[in-house]
Amino acid sequence: MKKIVFLLPIFLLFISCEVEGDLTRDAELSTPIPENTPPVATGNFMPTSGIKVTGSAKIYLNGNQNEVRLEDFSVSSGPDLKVYLSKNATPTDFVNLGNLTSSTVYAIPTQVNVSAYKYVLIHCQQYSHLFAVAQLSQN
Amino acid sequence: MKKLLLIIAIGICSNSFAQGCSDAGICSIGNGFQTTDKELKNGIEVGTIFGAGEADVTYISPYITYTRTINERLSLSSKITYSVANGSFGQRGSFGDAYLIGNYNWKPKTNTQWSSLLGFKIPFTSSNLKINEFSLPLDYQSSLGTFDLIAGLNLNYKKWDFNTAVQIPVFNNNKNSYFKEFSDTDDFPSTNLFERKSDALFRTTYTFQTHNKKFTFKPNVLFIYHLGEDSFENAFGNRETIQNSDGLTINGNIIGAYAINTKNSIELSLATPFVVREVRPDGLTRKFTAGIIYKVSF
Repeated sequence: MKKIVFLLPIFLLFISCEVEGDLTRDAELSTPIPENTPPVATGNFMPTSGIKVTGSAKIYLNGNQNEVRLEDFSVSSGPDLKVYLSKNATPTDFVNLGNLTSSTVYAIPTQVNVSAYKYVLIHCQQYSHLFAVAQLSQN
Repeated sequence: MKKLLLIIAIGICSNSFAQGCSDAGICSIGNGFQTTDKELKNGIEVGTIFGAGEADVTYISPYITYTRTINERLSLSSKITYSVANGSFGQRGSFGDAYLIGNYNWKPKTNTQWSSLLGFKIPFTSSNLKINEFSLPLDYQSSLGTFDLIAGLNLNYKKWDFNTAVQIPVFNNNKNSYFKEFSDTDDFPSTNLFERKSDALFRTTYTFQTHNKKFTFKPNVLFIYHLGEDSFENAFGNRETIQNSDGLTINGNIIGAYAINTKNSIELSLATPFVVREVRPDGLTRKFTAGIIYKVSF
């Protein structure tokens, strides 16, 4: 029993709980959009039950690249939030644009026909929980 | 002692001949077959494995195992793993998996002894550890996030051990969200909502001891066949098979043990794969491992 008492702290010392260092890889930088460029589509976010959200999603054509830009955006925190461009108000037919981060710009893959997608969703993938929906209207 | 130092030096200097292991859990499964000590009912094993993986990822993976001998036939083991990965994405570490393994020794016959084991692997994470909200490939995850069934059979014949086992994911809780498209490198394949297939293992070990029984050496060869191609969910929400992620891995491994006394021993384990699968999205990509292990019985 003494040995257990002796070995356990050594092991705990070894592992010293969870480690998360700094991200040492540079995040991709988005290209600034020319001033006065009109959005292709816009929509304001609406929360699902128990969630707080503000702001809007706008789709811009920036050069040859379509991208979703979040403006004045904030949402309740979640463990694994993603930005989806979706054909429906639920995540059934969508394009995953990546993790929701401090970035406000999310590139849309070039092969996507943007006009077929009517919603931007904020979705927690890990727990399959929809946080917010922005219905897009064409400008 | 001089001999031990010499052997360690040779092992380190010629790591192409040293042993390595590249798959989680099933790699160390042979240990579960070890004959239980008839007098000492409890065993604790503490080890740390250093590993070098794909790209520039390195690992330090400590673990602890407790074994309780129930009777002369049956023993139960539990093991907890931890892993810290370091690489170009940064550093990330967490608890990995818990293993619960039961080992049954069948009635011994002249020169032969059969034993079997059955157990489970339970993950502590859903394989979606991040750094600053940036999703990480499976190479940086401390667990694959699968609940696995492990079953195996061992034949001990004189100084030889032959063991075979399967590791079957029975429930997948992998919630990884890494896309290579969103990172700046092709070093790691996309593994968003990864689904892993089963593994089958075959290991042959030869054990020999010095005359004073202070030193034991266990060179062994480990064949692992990944029984299908893994898959992930692409950016459009469709499941995609990862081509050539199935197939054979062959590892060479040598374990050198020094018995301090009848209750305490220290082991050094060196391992490297000779043959690997063409694509290893699961991050089980160690090209070299070196482990130091302390065992105590009481």
